Amino acid sequence: MQPDDLTGVLAPKLGVRLKGVEPFPGTAGRVRFEREAALDLFRAVRDDLGFRHLSMVGGIDWVDHREVFYVLWSDDAKQYLVLSTDVPADDPRVETASSVWPSANWHEREAWELVGIVFDHHPDLRHLLTPDGYEFRPLLRSFKLHEPEELEVKARHV
Amino acid sequence: MSEMWVNMGPQHPMTHGLWNLRVLLDGELIRDVDPEVGYLHRGIEKISEDRHYNEVITLMDRCCYVAGLTWEHLYIIASEDALHLEPPERALYLRVMCDEFQRIASHLMWYAAFVQDIGLMTPFLYGMRDRDLILDLFQSFTGARMTYEYLRVGGVRNDLPPGFTDHTRKVLDWLTARFVDYDKLCLGSDIFHKRCDNLGVLKAADCVAHGVTGPMLRSAGLRRDLRKDRPYAVYNQLDFEVALADSADVTGRYVVRMEEMRQAVRILRQVVDWLDHHPGPVMAEQVPRWLGAPYAPVGKEGYLLKRNYPKGVGFSSVEEPHGEAQAYVVNEGGEHPYRVKFRSPVFANISAARQYLVGYRIADIPPIMGSVDVCVGEVDR
Amino acid sequence: MTAPTAQLARPKESAPPSGSLELGTELPMVGEAAVPFLEIETLRAKEFIPAAKEALGSLIAEQGHAKVIRPVFNWAGRNSLFPLHWGLACCAIEFAAAFGARWDAERFGVVPRSSPRQCDVMIVNGTVTWKVAHKLITLYEQMPEPKWVIAMGNCATGGGPFRTAYSVVPGVDKLVPVDVYIAGCPPRPEAMLDGILELEKLIRERKE
Ligand code: SF4
Repeated sequence: MQPDDLTGVLAPKLGVRLKGVEPFPGTAGRVRFEREAALDLFRAVRDDLGFRHLSMVGGIDWVDHREVFYVLWSDDAKQYLVLSTDVPADDPRVETASSVWPSANWHEREAWELVGIVFDHHPDLRHLLTPDGYEFRPLLRSFKLHEPEELEVKARHV
Repeated sequence: MSEMWVNMGPQHPMTHGLWNLRVLLDGELIRDVDPEVGYLHRGIEKISEDRHYNEVITLMDRCCYVAGLTWEHLYIIASEDALHLEPPERALYLRVMCDEFQRIASHLMWYAAFVQDIGLMTPFLYGMRDRDLILDLFQSFTGARMTYEYLRVGGVRNDLPPGFTDHTRKVLDWLTARFVDYDKLCLGSDIFHKRCDNLGVLKAADCVAHGVTGPMLRSAGLRRDLRKDRPYAVYNQLDFEVALADSADVTGRYVVRMEEMRQAVRILRQVVDWLDHHPGPVMAEQVPRWLGAPYAPVGKEGYLLKRNYPKGVGFSSVEEPHGEAQAYVVNEGGEHPYRVKFRSPVFANISAARQYLVGYRIADIPPIMGSVDVCVGEVDR
Repeated sequence: MTAPTAQLARPKESAPPSGSLELGTELPMVGEAAVPFLEIETLRAKEFIPAAKEALGSLIAEQGHAKVIRPVFNWAGRNSLFPLHWGLACCAIEFAAAFGARWDAERFGVVPRSSPRQCDVMIVNGTVTWKVAHKLITLYEQMPEPKWVIAMGNCATGGGPFRTAYSVVPGVDKLVPVDVYIAGCPPRPEAMLDGILELEKLIRERKE
């Protein structure tokens, strides 16, 4: 599957909300989309393109905005596919993928607590790796690692 | 109200690590489960942003401590992608050798722990003893038993010591003979079958929906193995089969892992023969000194100056002993990765616990979770 | 527990009919020189224990309670150190390897127990995070006195490679008192056994 094939299938469904498909090393391509199109894209990718296995969901903090990326695998094409969308840093929301791929559940919980991306309609958005009530988002660039003595106060959960 | 929540963990003989399985019980029947992880969350992804490319390798060993070399390999492929580097062929063969030995070592560790969970003591001693033979081999060329730091961006650290391949063949012969005994102890026993057949069943469709990979997926009959489907390193030049079972239960996972060990031995024999006949460099030439030597000698601090590598993203995916692991490395042209994200197979396998635990009895939890092969280091990262 | 074993020992005597062995049935030893099990037991019950009691009694009368009981207590304690059976992180794998066939930690009387109520030493074999910190303290408090703590590996000693991480306790001595530190990342099983022997020395010198 080539980026052009992907555009051919996805463009009619998403229209302008599809920002383009670019080549990405080691995968079939990277689909950039507007976050409003998330659910439509997820369904199209799973049902029309056959990417039934969601490998991971992650977030990247680009200081002025944040990026959410999804890695998928298709058993028929034997290929990976990367989906990626940008969300503004002051309103980091995107629709959950867990209604389409149940495996997104934990990955999204992790992205929420570490990068601070809020997944709308997630069934169970609570702390996974950090203790309950931990109020920092460690994987943001603004969160600096300190010498442990300074950190103790910060790390103890409330 | 006869239901109650029971905590199994974080300190519990079943868990093999630090995590907590909350179980909703009705008498002995499991109504619901809620795995709670994060007790070993060490912030590896965050620390990596603060480390030199080669220093992250140190963290990879500790990330999954039963398969350190495989995780090094995972990270190395991704960061070589991100930095646009090409390793020499001998290094690729050495990496495959490390991977396959690590697979056997990890499965032996699993065998030792799992079979002890279902009540046999001898396999623990057998498994640990044979694993030590492999660790001895690792020690002879990396210097460490568990935390190797052997792979490097652009190649591997050093070549093999003299006489290594001959000794390796002896170990492989020994292991091949031992696998027969292992099977006699387990598959040859009625008690084992009564305990493990039709336990913890997870069908292929559920596996795919819930992101379960590795031996659990292959035991459900789905032939997905990244070494075949999407060959990395030199796996496309090696001859091996994908281990499969179709029962989707605990016995199936046992069968798959045992067969994987046999296939790993088969791969290793080919790799060792190749290594004998193809001497050569093990480190790429275009690698700058600062990548090869994180600490520059006195007076040559210039090596540590920031180079401008083209920006890039590296994505890699390897078939780890527990399943499919992925790394996503973003390079913004500095000495440190901008963002590193890992996908742990056990993370996904545990997250599906509700699918393969509900409906069984509480006494079935140790064998089922044992067959999942939990390594908490990589779950929590 | 079956009849044939008893037959092996003494074919001329009639074996118990079936079911469980009767008390005093001899061990199935090959050859004649074996000391009958019953005799050892009788000897122990009738002679050794009263003799030991008497000797101890007179010693105590001579030297006072504290001087005698303490060494005996320490001797018993240091030869049967039961560590808590848990695995925190990577060092736990070497901890497990020490109980394998090659190192066999049990020859020092070290037997891991799963319940903190049965333990007298907690081997902290890995990274301690803030999330598990209060559980670690609970486990420590559940262990009966006297109790010891061994910090195994760099992580438990001072945070190790993860010292700067936001979630890691920089050394378990911030939470519980530590008696022995073992360096290494991970320490080899030999190093762990050495740490246990160091602890035995500490116990030998224990006064109160
Ligand atoms: S000291 Fe090293 S081997 Fe031990 S738990 Fe820490 S990182 Fe792992």
